[in-house]
Amino acid sequence: MLDKLVNGLESYLFRHRAFVILVFLVTTVFLGLQASNLKMDAAFIKNIPLNHTYMQTYLKHQKQFGGANSIMVAVEDTSGDIFNERFFDALKNVHDQLFFIPGVDRAQVKSLFSPSTRFTEVVEDGFAGGPVIPADFSTTAAGLTVVRNNIEKAGIVGRLIAEDYSAAMVTAQLMDFDPQTGEPLDTLAFASQLEEELRTQYENDDIKIHIIGFAKMAGDVADGAKGVVLFFLIAILVTAVMVYLFSKSLVLTFLPLACSLIAVIWQLGLLTVVGFGLDPMSILIPFLVFAIGVSHSVQMINAVRRRVADGKSTKSAAASAFRSLLIPGGIALLSDTVGFLTLLAIDIGIIRELAISASLGVGVIILTNLILLPLVISYTQVTPPKRSHDPSNDGINHIWKKLSAFATTKYAIWVLVITTGLYALGAQQASLMKVGDLQGGAPALHFDSRYNQDTFYITDNFSITTDVMTVIVEAFPEACTYHSVLTEIDEFEWLVGNTPGVEATASLASVAKRVNAGFNEGNPKWQVLPRTTASLVQAVGRVPTTSGLLNGDCSVMPVYLFLQDHKAETIELVIDKVKTLSAEMDSEKLKFKLASGPVGVMAATNEAVAEAQLPMMLYVYGAVFILCLLSFRSLRATVSVVLPLYVVSTLAQALMTLLDIGLAVSTLPVIALGVGIGVDYGIYILSTMAVRLRDGMPVQEAYYEALVERGSAVIFTGLTLAIGVSTWFFSALKFQMDMGILLTFMFLVNMLGAIIILPAIGAFFWRKPKAL
Amino acid sequence: MLFSMLRFVSVCLIAALFLSSVAHASDANSTSSQIQPLAIESIILDIATQGSTTVAVGERGHVFIFDSEKEGGWTQVATPTNAHLTKAFFITPKLGWAVGHDATIIHTRDAGLTWQLQMGSPEIEKPLMDVFFFDESNGVAVGAYGLFYRTSDGGTTWLSEYHEELLFEEDISYLAELKAEDEALYLSERSALLPHFNRINVLSSGQLIMVGELGLVAVSDNQGKQWTKVDFIYEGSLFNTIQLNQTIFVMGLRGHIFQADLDLGSWKEVILPVKSTINGALPNNDGGLILVGNAGVIIDVPVEGKSKVIQQRQGENLVAINQDPQGHIWVAGTKGLFELK
Repeated sequence: MLDKLVNGLESYLFRHRAFVILVFLVTTVFLGLQASNLKMDAAFIKNIPLNHTYMQTYLKHQKQFGGANSIMVAVEDTSGDIFNERFFDALKNVHDQLFFIPGVDRAQVKSLFSPSTRFTEVVEDGFAGGPVIPADFSTTAAGLTVVRNNIEKAGIVGRLIAEDYSAAMVTAQLMDFDPQTGEPLDTLAFASQLEEELRTQYENDDIKIHIIGFAKMAGDVADGAKGVVLFFLIAILVTAVMVYLFSKSLVLTFLPLACSLIAVIWQLGLLTVVGFGLDPMSILIPFLVFAIGVSHSVQMINAVRRRVADGKSTKSAAASAFRSLLIPGGIALLSDTVGFLTLLAIDIGIIRELAISASLGVGVIILTNLILLPLVISYTQVTPPKRSHDPSNDGINHIWKKLSAFATTKYAIWVLVITTGLYALGAQQASLMKVGDLQGGAPALHFDSRYNQDTFYITDNFSITTDVMTVIVEAFPEACTYHSVLTEIDEFEWLVGNTPGVEATASLASVAKRVNAGFNEGNPKWQVLPRTTASLVQAVGRVPTTSGLLNGDCSVMPVYLFLQDHKAETIELVIDKVKTLSAEMDSEKLKFKLASGPVGVMAATNEAVAEAQLPMMLYVYGAVFILCLLSFRSLRATVSVVLPLYVVSTLAQALMTLLDIGLAVSTLPVIALGVGIGVDYGIYILSTMAVRLRDGMPVQEAYYEALVERGSAVIFTGLTLAIGVSTWFFSALKFQMDMGILLTFMFLVNMLGAIIILPAIGAFFWRKPKAL
Repeated sequence: MLFSMLRFVSVCLIAALFLSSVAHASDANSTSSQIQPLAIESIILDIATQGSTTVAVGERGHVFIFDSEKEGGWTQVATPTNAHLTKAFFITPKLGWAVGHDATIIHTRDAGLTWQLQMGSPEIEKPLMDVFFFDESNGVAVGAYGLFYRTSDGGTTWLSEYHEELLFEEDISYLAELKAEDEALYLSERSALLPHFNRINVLSSGQLIMVGELGLVAVSDNQGKQWTKVDFIYEGSLFNTIQLNQTIFVMGLRGHIFQADLDLGSWKEVILPVKSTINGALPNNDGGLILVGNAGVIIDVPVEGKSKVIQQRQGENLVAINQDPQGHIWVAGTKGLFELK
């Protein structure tokens, strides 16, 4: 029935080939125009698992306490001392400039110059205090001395001032939506404003500007991602050379590349049509689409040439190649698509977009490379390869002969033993694979990038860390006037603070204790939560809501945990402790809820990624299994295709452990991509074998013929794919590099799996002919 | 539907069981201290020594004992309180007491290894600031708002005393008027009008000296049963007093330290280079004093010549300084203990 459909399709398409090509042409022009409108897009919200319970807490309180989307600008005086006119002018300019950049929550801009930066001191008759920078401030020596003294009294050294007084900090919170237009904040535009209006304008020999925060990082990542255009060109060039070596024909080099580029144009155009932008992660999809397109095209030109060599006309050879490749090619591409679609199960926006754009792209290849390509080829004049007289062909066939020994039980047993051994080692290493980021700084960027250097500068010179996790304490209105409530929070803070990995903590309770000591002449012996309600209210009352320690009616009081880093183990340890404590301490009236802050987001992401891994693997393998079962209608054939894939993806995980690549938002999809694409090789090889096995041919012979027919195309495919992704190794972005390494590995090793392990399994499955 | 209802009920039951057992467990724990790794870096307010015993006390009922043989030296021990402990005193190397907030008094008979609760009264909402024993049975504990307790049985029973003689004159007449008008208000005002008693100590004469809020300096000839206020030249709070040879020093708020002869007749201010509150004092090797105080200051006060800041530690307030039997000098404060070298 399927054959009938294919035949019908063939005769229809080839009869109207001019019209069909015209339709493709028009579509390409339309989608090309769409693609030219494609924008880079890197919204914070896309990177987080929105439905995770931590993120529900985060979103609920984001408005009040700011979220994880903050920006820090450290202004450094290279002389090592900030107390001079030049520096204070620069700091004031940076403060004002940041204040006016759209998207900044103006109420939360903090620096020496913000009115909320005040000092208090104890004198004989009570408190004295005022803004750290007095209203009549002037940058004279006397004025600077006053400010220096106020800074010490205000206890802001380490937060707003570097520990060694060589720099000062301006911090701000970003809003997700522009309050005037209601539009989502354009993170990348914001990042370039930071670069132009702060760094470019105020950085000079004396003043250095260090900027960190999600928005800046996203901007730097987007800038780094622009480098892929070059990689794309290199990939096209290298691929072109390879296709030429393979086809020895300019026309047959040009057509596959052109059809694959058309697939890329369609894919990019469709992104705009469905309303997506291109983010630094999904920018890699065009590479995949191109490479997959080329590899299927190569199968196509290979098939056409064989038929021409058998004496057919180019047109009927193209039609026949179309007929024979539509099903295996279609199945292979369909399983790629399904492999990508399984990523939809992961509740992180950016991965879902990746899934959709990748499956769109691969779906498009079915049209451009399995249909358009043979139609176009049919207009050309393909010269038959001089098969019998070509010595290199004999050489290749000689290699195929040797390779076919893998389909004999004698060699197969060794292949299987070695494979089993590799698998055992791999599985052991894979079990040690870490989740999350394994290095300091922003994991997307290289260690020595400007952004990460800025991060290290700030964490070294300020007692600030960007590795903050916030536990939100939800209570009842006016809860902070109850001694019992604050005591619980204090107890919680103390116990969490004693967890390894937590460097410091802050909450309303601990601040209220210090304020109470302040009310008692600064005597540390009174650094307690006063039992007298009046004293407690007095102490709490001095803490403004802008401190981020309480909301308006103090029914919500966050506990801030400053961690030593954001490595997965650290996060896990702290999360476990918080869970244990909240299980003990939660009551009707008081709940300790995870989590906000940058590390809270990471914790949720790590958990979501770790949880998604198994289902994702089950889905992708399930899909591949069912597709193989459908196309081969044989369990043994299916197993011999899927088993090598499984071994290789285990080895890829082991490679992650060995190379210190953590399972993260960027690396999670790699396995699905690798399996989805890797299955192609097996399908191509086995579909040729299957026909012959059914006809009663022995395994070794069937395998040999499959190699003669498709072997060079399969190896070529593996190399093309690997070249496309291996250029990412030189990316300015660490995660692209990680993805590049892993995908290159998966593409190459899956290819080896298909030509070595698959026949070895087959040797045992089909010892008797006609056993399929 | 029914099934899900049942399931819901059973989940609630399990949750209720779980919660009640947890509540019970935390009740049991809520008043005792916990051994935690960072306790030694948290607020520590006093270091007491007697013979070979050295003990430090601090927030959340933390108590540490020092053993020079041990790596790091200090070990946290369990106590039956989580109150902010302000002071410790040992009458013998074995027998000691520590006092603190919630009018807490704990007692040890084995050099600080184990502690028993002798008193704890959160409801009076006042902290004890110092404890002093004349012998193994007789002692006093003093604290905020004139809090004053006495024991004659080693602390088994503590009886409250009210030292009216330390009230200010205007307060005495105010209280007298109030007593006639409103008995309840009189009682509450009475319990709040005395100044904080911050430190009590014995002089070489055998007299007791006590310093406190609002420039309070008082002496007693009869183990603190009756006090006499000393004329004093400063109205800020005093936190500590120490006798060095024939000179008595009192010290407190904003870098104020005064000295007088044994008769306490005339006071003279010692000029310090900083205006930080002075909390602790220890005789130095040269006959002078080492002072510690807020803003992390450690000040050397020589017998002759100018005092100078010998160390200033960032971001911590220093409260106590003492020397262990091996001669190490330890300083305690809001970031825990460190050795002064």
